[in-house]
Amino acid sequence: MELFFQQLLNGLTLGSVYILVGIGLTLVFGILHVPNFAHGSLYLIGGYMTLMTMKWFGVHYFIAIIMSIITVALLAVLMERLVFNPLRDAPAIHDKIAAIGMVLFFEALVSLMWGTEYHRMQTPFGDTIKIAGMSTSAQRILVIAVAAMVVVLLYLFLKKTMIGASILAMAQNREGAFLVGINANAVAMMTFAISGVLAAIAASLASPINLVFPAMGHLVILKAFVVVIIGGMGSIPGAIIGGMILGISESLGATYISNDYKDMIAFLLLIIIMTARPKGLFAKEVY
Amino acid sequence: MRSSRKWLFISILFILILALTACNDEGDSGSGEAKEFIIGYSGPLSGPAAFYGEETLNGLTLAVEDINEAGGFEVDGQTYKIKLSSLDDKYLPNETAANAKRLVQEDKVNVVYSPHSGGIYAMQVFNEQEDFIIMGYTSEPGATAQGNTLNVRIPPRYDNYLEPFTKYEMERFGKKIAFLPTASQYGKDWAEALRPVWEANGGEIVFDESIDFSKDTDFQTIMSNALNTNPDVLFIGGPSEPTALVLKQARDLGFEGGFLVMDQAKVDQMAAVLGGGYDLLEGVVSTVPLVNSEFPGTKQFVEAYQKKHDKDPGAEAGFHYLSLYVLTEAMKVAGTVENTKKIMASLNQGAKNVPEEKQVYVVPSVSDEGGFEPALRMAYIEDGELHILDGDK
Repeated sequence: MELFFQQLLNGLTLGSVYILVGIGLTLVFGILHVPNFAHGSLYLIGGYMTLMTMKWFGVHYFIAIIMSIITVALLAVLMERLVFNPLRDAPAIHDKIAAIGMVLFFEALVSLMWGTEYHRMQTPFGDTIKIAGMSTSAQRILVIAVAAMVVVLLYLFLKKTMIGASILAMAQNREGAFLVGINANAVAMMTFAISGVLAAIAASLASPINLVFPAMGHLVILKAFVVVIIGGMGSIPGAIIGGMILGISESLGATYISNDYKDMIAFLLLIIIMTARPKGLFAKEVY
Repeated sequence: MRSSRKWLFISILFILILALTACNDEGDSGSGEAKEFIIGYSGPLSGPAAFYGEETLNGLTLAVEDINEAGGFEVDGQTYKIKLSSLDDKYLPNETAANAKRLVQEDKVNVVYSPHSGGIYAMQVFNEQEDFIIMGYTSEPGATAQGNTLNVRIPPRYDNYLEPFTKYEMERFGKKIAFLPTASQYGKDWAEALRPVWEANGGEIVFDESIDFSKDTDFQTIMSNALNTNPDVLFIGGPSEPTALVLKQARDLGFEGGFLVMDQAKVDQMAAVLGGGYDLLEGVVSTVPLVNSEFPGTKQFVEAYQKKHDKDPGAEAGFHYLSLYVLTEAMKVAGTVENTKKIMASLNQGAKNVPEEKQVYVVPSVSDEGGFEPALRMAYIEDGELHILDGDK
């Protein structure tokens, strides 16, 4: 039983990171109907920015995270302005190609600037914590706590503020949003900025547990796509549920079936959900 | 009118190209004594294994520069300067095979380096027909067991480590081992080779799964499961840095036993990732890091490498450096840079002829199958310090 709770905790940590990345992805999809493959690059840059800010300026972990959030949010806005916005009237395939191009570009850029080696991010939260027979590190608790906090804040932002409402409005009905005078450009930039913020937070929180290296982006983006598809492209509650389902099914699947089959379990789940609800669990909000 | 002008333009362009190529030919033969000898390389220069690939290429590049700076090498009265032609295969065997074909056809190479077993196996399918030597960096014993006559294995075979590693861990920590190697072919082969040795020594395998480093970055789940079986020793391995993380997560979860580490991971790099110091790696048995080795040419090589790349070289870099010297010495003995069979036959003598200051490792002999045979050495960490055990002791 102890093992079960230990694995539940591990699954929660995994799921929290998936949720943060997944929400960013699903938000952008909801607004622009673009599957942003380059979202993994934002995650990648987020990890490196936090690490390098800590190295260069010797600042505290949290300050480095804030710097990283600002940089990545700006980068995400630039991405929207320079790539996705000019391509908005192009054939549907073009923005996907552009996104894949950016993935390759950013990975090469990071390799060039900081080398191909793995970096480890040291944080003040490396200590092991024991709760009722379960071991975990303070960092993992931080991942879960921050993810929960961010989700709540994001919910409040979307539901209670005017800007948030305009994002939701545009996700629900593009033409309708234009008719009531919502500025599409501003909303698109805002959405990208939020997705950048979330990616930077996820990367900064997960990096001390994992490592920082040029390929870290596409490892997580693959899982994030599964999360978003399970939950329904464009749906925020969907991304939350999807992230938890994937994280926990991975850790429990590895425990009670086999570690070698845990991806199979996750994808089997994906197939079952897709068969039962082709648009994902919560997709109806979008269309 | 327009089309005839276009034709004129194309013909002029064509003539220009011809003229340029001609110049090039003239330039080559006109520049005098030193001929160019091209060596092919195909390894992972992008993707998750890029760091590893770069390290191997750095070692090789350093050897090329050193040889060329010393005026090249002389075979049968003709001086040659080496040029390295390197291609990225992203760690994919099929890409390695395609790269090798390209190197043979475009650069006319008869030597191709590759630092991974998958690529080496892929090239072994056609290297004898196409007449090129594979300089393979893999400790996989199978790589030289195929009866391929043009295949060189640079590092020592890993099966030599199985017995001493097993004995050490078993005596110090106990008989129960959990298998958590990397999910690559190499990791699986290692595990299959270790299994009978561990069991023959009276040990028991209590957990048997693998970690896919190309898919996972958080190992807490699999580690919780492994530790739930109460092992005394963990068998881990893969690229140094994620392997170090696997080790750390085991410690975080309260594991106090030992670690039997595959030869792909290097203890010095593992320690560096975990923030220096060997105390976190207590109980590890593994191969000896290059920086802790004391062969005649090691110090000089390590210094040159540090100066150029601002970091410590690993065994990959050292062995690649040495291997090019073995190869050129073998060519000198064979008296040819073209006859691959003669070069292969001269490798053993070539290894003996490597100048002392270039001996980053001492390789006293090369076997008939083309395997380098350095003396067996292992490293273990006790009381937070690295100890080295030479095989002959």
